[in-house]
Amino acid sequence: MSPQLTLQTPLLLPPNEIPSYLDQLWTNDQSSNSGANTFSLLIWQPAWIEQQLARTGKISGPIIGTQSNALIQAARQIVLDQDLPHCTSPFDKCITTSLAKLSGANLVDDLRGQHIAASISELQPRRLITLAPTLKEDTELETLVAAYCPLPEEGGGQNACGDVVVMRGNIKSIEKGLNILEPLIPEELPSWLWWNGNLDEAPDLFNHLASSQRRLIIDTALGNEHHCLDLLKTKIQNDQAINDLNWLRLRSWRETLAMVFDPPSRRNALNNVVQLDIDIEGSHPVQGLLFAAWIADRLKWELTKCLQTPEKSFQAEFHRPNGSLVQVLLNPLPVGKPSIHPGQIVGMRLICKPEEPNQKDVCVILGAESGECMRLEAGGMASMELLEELVPMQSANVEMDVARLLRSSRGTTSPLLAAAAPIASSLLNMSCSD
Amino acid sequence: MGTPITNPLRVGLRQERVVAPQCLVIFGASGDLTGRKLLPALFELFNQRRLPSEFAVLGCARRPWSDDEFRQRMADCLSEQIKEEPIAWEKFSSNLFYESVDLSQPNKLIKLKERLDSIDRLQATHSNRTFYLSVSPKFYGSGCRALSNAGLLNDPRRSRVVIEKPFGRDFVSAQALNELVQSCGQESQIFRIDHYLGKETVQNILVMRFANSIFEPIWNRNFISSVQITAAETVGVEERAGYYESSGAIRDMVQNHLTQMLALTAMEPPGHFDPEAIRNEKAKVLQAARLADEIEPWNCCIRGQYEKGGTKSSPLVGYRDEPGVHPNSTTETYVAMKLFIDNWRWQGVPFYVRTGKRLAKRVSEVVLTFREAPVHLFDAAGGSPTSNQLVLRIQPNEGAEFRFDVKSPGSGMRSRPVEMEFSYDQSFGEPSDEGYVRLLADAMLGDPTLFTRSDEVEAAWRLYTPLLELIEDSPWQLPIHLYESRTWGPAAADSLLAQDELIWRRP
Repeated sequence: MSPQLTLQTPLLLPPNEIPSYLDQLWTNDQSSNSGANTFSLLIWQPAWIEQQLARTGKISGPIIGTQSNALIQAARQIVLDQDLPHCTSPFDKCITTSLAKLSGANLVDDLRGQHIAASISELQPRRLITLAPTLKEDTELETLVAAYCPLPEEGGGQNACGDVVVMRGNIKSIEKGLNILEPLIPEELPSWLWWNGNLDEAPDLFNHLASSQRRLIIDTALGNEHHCLDLLKTKIQNDQAINDLNWLRLRSWRETLAMVFDPPSRRNALNNVVQLDIDIEGSHPVQGLLFAAWIADRLKWELTKCLQTPEKSFQAEFHRPNGSLVQVLLNPLPVGKPSIHPGQIVGMRLICKPEEPNQKDVCVILGAESGECMRLEAGGMASMELLEELVPMQSANVEMDVARLLRSSRGTTSPLLAAAAPIASSLLNMSCSD
Repeated sequence: MGTPITNPLRVGLRQERVVAPQCLVIFGASGDLTGRKLLPALFELFNQRRLPSEFAVLGCARRPWSDDEFRQRMADCLSEQIKEEPIAWEKFSSNLFYESVDLSQPNKLIKLKERLDSIDRLQATHSNRTFYLSVSPKFYGSGCRALSNAGLLNDPRRSRVVIEKPFGRDFVSAQALNELVQSCGQESQIFRIDHYLGKETVQNILVMRFANSIFEPIWNRNFISSVQITAAETVGVEERAGYYESSGAIRDMVQNHLTQMLALTAMEPPGHFDPEAIRNEKAKVLQAARLADEIEPWNCCIRGQYEKGGTKSSPLVGYRDEPGVHPNSTTETYVAMKLFIDNWRWQGVPFYVRTGKRLAKRVSEVVLTFREAPVHLFDAAGGSPTSNQLVLRIQPNEGAEFRFDVKSPGSGMRSRPVEMEFSYDQSFGEPSDEGYVRLLADAMLGDPTLFTRSDEVEAAWRLYTPLLELIEDSPWQLPIHLYESRTWGPAAADSLLAQDELIWRRP
């Protein structure tokens, strides 16, 4: 699905005139329609890499803020050109840092907030407010506004419409202009904040926007791992609705592993797990830690020890409810062409050794590709009862993930994430204290 | 430590849709269905966290019960479930209310409206209402009319009506009822329930057909020689004699449940998984279906009635000796028939449909028999080669099996049939939800996929009209064949297939 443009050219208005303009838009111009009765979505859309690539002439623009193929390809080329480790994800912060050192002053159109991903627009958001910080520190705040109506690809228009507001400028000017935000967010509708950037950037702005009644969408694959997990844990403790795209991307791993143990004949093996190995791309450990934490929570294991090796592996020990030891290893792999999301899981191995005599050991291997399965088979696994599955690769872009979340969420934090995040945080903190 | 009863890794992975804030109004709340099916299903939805906190059930019937009395009676009906979840019941039952209502008295409807408004304020249910007509079929039309006159169906986005089976007694009455209910609200507000469509295995027919690329290319007249659809019960008429005497097996089972299985088995693939796309295809295939011999229906339909049977220690009475049944009743408790579907996919493929009470086994299944191999290269161990069969088991032992020939071990090259099995129990190990759990949730969500649309209902009645007219006008032409209880029905039903050189599958 291609992004959809707003129906009218966005109107540049002074910030203080935006609320009255929008009121007028829905009361005068569309007397039969007061807008979609859905939700409002506030988007932090820095697109630093896209802006840097455009500035240095690596992409031609315009800047739209979505993860296009051209953008991903250009970012991957930077990994090669700048001699960064090959396992660097195209949206890793170090790419922005590398690009910042390059010269260039190309000017391209900035259309952030005006291109709406079709997956999101078909949910008919009532109001999309995009905060678009610019690289140039001398850019003053500009506010743009436009109405839009999603036009389904199958044809047939719908009455429900929404509007978009864009606040563009340097971070300081956006912070200064935040006072116009509150009146713009319809009180009667659910309000979401999608922080589409690193979690450790602009902390004051984040804290201001992530007010307690707002539902949050974050991505713990982006940003310092301690900051990501601490934030997740704190928001869960404070009972704020929080959704993590990094957790959402684990769904096929959770589903495939659960599927292996659906037949009752296999379930006993879950009482006898002795070892869990998780392989991740690169060194961002949050997704791997969340996956290990989910398994530990579901099987009622208790964390006793965790340390990090100089190679950035995590070695943890848990105890099963009967006191037996489970060893967990989280292993970063230097993958050649990594996923666009840092630290994604590429394989896992679960070894179960039944205590009852005459029962065969069981080894479950899940891999993102068959090469990873073969790697995990090494070391005598073939002598066990081997259960292997390839995990379907997630091809959805981040906008589709957000749309899926908006469509299916009850507006609360997933109970599974709420249970796993504190364990993942303990794993990380314990590994540092040792 | 024993084997976990549920898969701990499965818990919480299902992304179920949550019902929007609303009030479910059950008319006929003092009846059997409410305590036996509807409230248990709602309690299950509550325990699955699929009901919002802004939720209420308003039971309505003529009896002058109070809220507490209604709660107590429902608690009695659900005593087994409550034992396991007493705290959950405490919370759930606080959402139960009762109002004495007679649908035929307009002033009572005004009172009902006031009560609903007060529940809206109390439970924050936002005037979002689902009205469930669990009443005698003769009140379906007047019930809808009364709701409409009271203004309770005015908002098509916030009000829905669920109507139980049977929807009409024949094509003409179904058409009239459709006209009446459609004059009270939009079609999108009408949910005609068929609890067979709530069964996991019935829905699985769609998934098996359209999620796998191996079946659809051979799912047609080029590869399939016949289809059998069976719904057999071991029980007799029990306490339903009053209703059953006026309905019989055709109206009670065939026109709705078996016809829905037929539609799902024979329909074309929908363009996308959308309620209207699916219901369009179901309606189209039913419109193309006909009795194998519409001019002389007695050539393609056998009616039966159970006689006494059982054993000396546990004898079973015959239908005519059941309490409430006329001693000379000619109501059929068994029916078998042959149908054709006149479209490109199924032209010439016979569909055999049978259902009956007091049969040898409780079983519902769809059996697709494939054409024989064009050349028989091998000796068959059983004497003659067998056809491949795909069996979709609806209940019990839910699952599917595929029968095909393999080499019989030994030095020769003899073939024999074996079965490849899929069983819900062995693969998932967890019981499926009762049909009403799924259907109630869908109705409250406003999702009509698993409910029958007006044109489907009419097409289903039209299909059996020649039979019903014959039974009405000259029943002697479609005589009742008696069969012993706990057997597989009358011998005449076997002859129906024997004339096509086929036999009924013995499940």
